[in-house]
Amino acid sequence: METGFLQEQRTLEGDLNSKTSHKNSVDYLMNWFRSRSIFVLAYGTGCGAIEMPPTFTSRYDAERLGIRGAATPRQADVIIVSGYCSYKTLRRIIRTYEQMSNPKYLLALGSCTINGGMYWDSYNTIKKLEDYLPVDMYVSGCMPRPESILEGFIALQKDISNGKASSWQKYEDNYEFYRKNQEAVLGKTVEPSYEADWYLYDGGL
Amino acid sequence: MFNEIKNQFATNDVIIKRDDLYKVSVNYERVFSLIDFVGDSYNYKTLNAITCTDWIEDNHFAITYMLTTIDRRSTFMIQTMVSRENTKIKSLSQKFKQAEIMERDLAEMYGIDFVGNKNLKELSLENWVHTPPLRREFDTLEFVNNHLTFREGRDDNVDTKVEAKRLRAIKKAEKEALKKAKEEAEAKKIQEENQDGK
Amino acid sequence: MILLDLVLMFIIAYTFGFLYYGLYRNITARFQRRFGPPVYQSFVDSIKFFLKEDSTSHGWMFYLGPIIMMSGAVMTLFFIPLFNTGESFKGLSEYGNLFLVLYLLVLGPLGNALGVGVGGNPFGVMGVTRGLTRLFALEMPFYIAVIAIMSLSGSADITTIATEQTTMNAIIYPLLFIGALFSFIGMMGQSPFDVVGAPVEVYSGPASEFSGKFLALLMSQSAIFTFAKLVLMVDLFLGGASGFIELITKTFILFLFVIAFGSLYGRFKTPQSVDFLLKVPTIISIVGLILATWSS
Repeated sequence: METGFLQEQRTLEGDLNSKTSHKNSVDYLMNWFRSRSIFVLAYGTGCGAIEMPPTFTSRYDAERLGIRGAATPRQADVIIVSGYCSYKTLRRIIRTYEQMSNPKYLLALGSCTINGGMYWDSYNTIKKLEDYLPVDMYVSGCMPRPESILEGFIALQKDISNGKASSWQKYEDNYEFYRKNQEAVLGKTVEPSYEADWYLYDGGL
Repeated sequence: MFNEIKNQFATNDVIIKRDDLYKVSVNYERVFSLIDFVGDSYNYKTLNAITCTDWIEDNHFAITYMLTTIDRRSTFMIQTMVSRENTKIKSLSQKFKQAEIMERDLAEMYGIDFVGNKNLKELSLENWVHTPPLRREFDTLEFVNNHLTFREGRDDNVDTKVEAKRLRAIKKAEKEALKKAKEEAEAKKIQEENQDGK
Repeated sequence: MILLDLVLMFIIAYTFGFLYYGLYRNITARFQRRFGPPVYQSFVDSIKFFLKEDSTSHGWMFYLGPIIMMSGAVMTLFFIPLFNTGESFKGLSEYGNLFLVLYLLVLGPLGNALGVGVGGNPFGVMGVTRGLTRLFALEMPFYIAVIAIMSLSGSADITTIATEQTTMNAIIYPLLFIGALFSFIGMMGQSPFDVVGAPVEVYSGPASEFSGKFLALLMSQSAIFTFAKLVLMVDLFLGGASGFIELITKTFILFLFVIAFGSLYGRFKTPQSVDFLLKVPTIISIVGLILATWSS
């Protein structure tokens, strides 16, 4: 009987290998590959980003489950919305999300993304993330510890290998709905402008 | 120093808050000459902050310029009152470079127009079209209820003051009930003791 | 017959490239006191990227970049003989010599530079600039060592060089080996010369705009290229290999040394690495060259 660390590893992986329902074996294999290799965009949108470094480094080591950081949205599979999400951040998240290539997944951390959390009466943060972007998995807590984030990842991996995580398809099918909600809070121009103001006046770059 | 300021700038409102912290209130016309004066004569050459307080009851903003000496030992606050409606203030960005970003902050949060600031656009908000959010007539709760949707099951989007009052009243009633019960119990005890004594 | 040979060489390089890359991740993880991913993780990653849709489009030149890189890696592999005895797994090595291989080593990065330049991603362009700057410095000690080996053994044919070593070149000419090893660490993209793809500074460098199938192609390319470079190094300095087990042992020992070295050191900046490579390893190589010619 293995103990300690190895036992934890087996428990986590055993959970992943539980029975799945699939149309055929090609489908099963594709989903298995997708679930076992997850590149997470290294982009912190709120205070919860502070829990991500321990998740990916030596202490909690998400890489043993195939979860790994990616530097650019072109290569990422998962974007983590970690915590409260102001309008200004939402613009950037939407642009980043749309730059990622399919299939892509969205993991939302913290009570702020679920119902506004402690920013429930803030004029500048959104209260329900799923109105603006499709969410595959919510991890509750304020903030969720790395253990919970790993649990969330494993639940997401299970969904992927079952073929249930299809939020990117939902986003494409209901694009008008999401766009309408985005425009309601962000105005007609949802995309952020590329210009940074310190370029423009003397003393800038 | 203070006598000089009192005489030259026609003010009596000089407060010495600490050994190293002074505050002077002057009319708006005299603010900039006072800033020049304390900078040139008393070495208050660094602009620390520009702050604004919204006195909605008196219908004015209190703008405070905080200046520090070069050795960072002493701070001088210069306060002035300006009207709340269509506020226009001369910009300090020609004299102090750092004033530019402070004025941008105030312009965005209070809707104050700083004349002469070339870069007066939004600092932390983007495309904000409603009332500037730190003005006190801006009701945050009402704005949130009008513009954003809450998840069902979350019903604490109510006025916190009223809610706190209600909770306090409940607590108080409980406490009183407890006290009453205690008193009754004691009275009963005394009665029983008296009966035993007889 | 030669076609079957080439296909088998490709399959061996692909398998062992990914195996080594998986081991690299696992061993690095152990160095950092963590469990690390399974050995097949890199393979799973590359297959996953093959299954992804492409969302970018920057014209045909952009897509040509990874393809040129891949063909550069495969051609390098084909011109390096795996074994120095026997008839099989010689590839095309009898048609081309060491000069061609040295040329092909540079083909990949140059092709990639063309593709990335068209993509217009500033981080990609930055990474390519760093990569090419570093490449010039990397070539210096490596070429000196390789040319010395070539002139000492009197042949530019890799099989001949590998066969003629009764004792390993690394033991007879240690300074040349050390000089070349510094460049080799840089060529493998290991610390301290890994500034090209630094994830924090240039967002994974040249690859930052590539996604989906083209990124998978780049990953396979790097796996195959790694194996090809290891075999070249073994052929030139470690006496080649007469059998499969010897080849795997020698390449793996070399690989293990490279990753252990990489895990120990931090990252040089571009000017620092150029400075270092042009000073220390180059001087070591030159001294080695002088000593070797003097003694022979």
